[in-house]
Amino acid sequence: MDSALSWLGTAEMAGEAWLRHTTPDKYTRQTLEHSNEALRPIAHDLLEAPPRGIDTALLAVVLAQSQKHIARMARLVRERNAPALSSQLDSLRADQKVVKQLADDIKPKQ
Amino acid sequence: MKKILQISLGIVTSVGGFLEIGSVMTAAQAGAAFGYQLLWAILLGTLCLIFLVEMSGRLAAVSKHTIVEAMRERFGFPFFFIVLIGMVLVAFMVLVAELGGIGLSFQILTGIGFPWWAAPVSLLVWLLMWKGTFGLIENGASLLGLVTICFIVAAIKLRPDWSSAASGLVPTMPHMDKAHYGFIAVSILGASISPYLMYFYSSGAIEDKWDESYIPINRLIAGLGMTFGGVLSMAVLVTAALALRPRGIQVDAFDQAALLTTTALPKWGFYLFAMSMLFACFGAALEISLAIAYFFAQGFGWNWSEDLEPSKDARFSLVYTIIILLAAIPLVAGIDPVKVTMVSMALTAATLPLAIVPFLFLMNDPIYMGKHRNGWLSNSVVAIVILISFVLAVISIPLQIIGG
Repeated sequence: MDSALSWLGTAEMAGEAWLRHTTPDKYTRQTLEHSNEALRPIAHDLLEAPPRGIDTALLAVVLAQSQKHIARMARLVRERNAPALSSQLDSLRADQKVVKQLADDIKPKQ
Repeated sequence: MKKILQISLGIVTSVGGFLEIGSVMTAAQAGAAFGYQLLWAILLGTLCLIFLVEMSGRLAAVSKHTIVEAMRERFGFPFFFIVLIGMVLVAFMVLVAELGGIGLSFQILTGIGFPWWAAPVSLLVWLLMWKGTFGLIENGASLLGLVTICFIVAAIKLRPDWSSAASGLVPTMPHMDKAHYGFIAVSILGASISPYLMYFYSSGAIEDKWDESYIPINRLIAGLGMTFGGVLSMAVLVTAALALRPRGIQVDAFDQAALLTTTALPKWGFYLFAMSMLFACFGAALEISLAIAYFFAQGFGWNWSEDLEPSKDARFSLVYTIIILLAAIPLVAGIDPVKVTMVSMALTAATLPLAIVPFLFLMNDPIYMGKHRNGWLSNSVVAIVILISFVLAVISIPLQIIGG
């Protein structure tokens, strides 16, 4: 769960930095693509062997959604579409919050 | 006046040359994963390095021997050969990591993958070694490395809670992830106490023709330069603790580390990070290539000096040519420099006794050191830190491997 949250946080921070015009397009796009690539096996492993007590169905949905948001963000950086990226970023933040909540819920049981 | 200038330049170059990919990545990982809790590891590593660097310069100034020459003379060729294999293997991995760090810096700036940079970067490092002088390598690269001071600015701008930070200077165990904590602590110690730095420093003292009158200067350079360098590493850790940890970002990749300064320095932070890593890794790659060549040449009794024409010390020049060429191969093949960095830093810590124990014997030998032998303080500090590093490495490396 920590690894998933780490890459979701990376994608969020890279998106925010790009919106502030503080990072170059290519770096931002590559970091978003890298985050998505890194998330894929993490999500696969989490769903194959989910942590005890976690809502697997919700986790599956939210991780799949997050990956879609990040992929769209990478495309929007290429198109230099800041308003659309900003709204994708909001959706990603909402998913991130759910993953964080799921992680917090299982922590006392671990 | 000349000596004051040398002191200033020595301190400035120590500061500029302190950070490299190992110290930045380990400090960033520590801050992102454990907040301020691992500041003690940097403090301990820096303290040990101050003593070791001072000893390296003192040995050269008093005995007119580099560490390698004295080691071979005192312990004989078979023992020297064992140390050579261990040190060169680890230094080679660190060189791969540094060349990779330059490539990764170019990658985040241009978008062109690091494997494409491996060949041109290695060629540039080799060209500077071939054409440059010791002064150019020692001072030029380190002066450019002063851009790493941006980490201190970033840490201060993020307004850390200084009392919490100070509590990190005392070792404590975390509630979870103990193996990971131990592995990062070992990696920090390995990144701080780099034996190649001692070989480079003692060879440099011989290149600069130090004598006993340089002992106070040496003490000042080692003390102040390494202290400022340690502060830089701590600043990286503090910045990661404040900028990355609240977002749950662990630093597993270079592009994650590149976000380190974007919060504190929104306008230039990203570019300052990239330039810091570029210059720091470039300086380190030059120093390691030279240190490996010094090791071979001094151990086998060949001609050696970075200030000589390559034709006058052909075997010395051949060694760094081959080493740089070999180091480029794994990078061209796409091996992740960050993974190489973490493994090489932990291995450095594990092999420290091999490098440091014979050095301590030399520093206590009246034949080499006369009245300038080590006191109990320097012997104790270095022996304790090396023991801690070794024990931590032996425990945490297998745990980290088993735990993935």
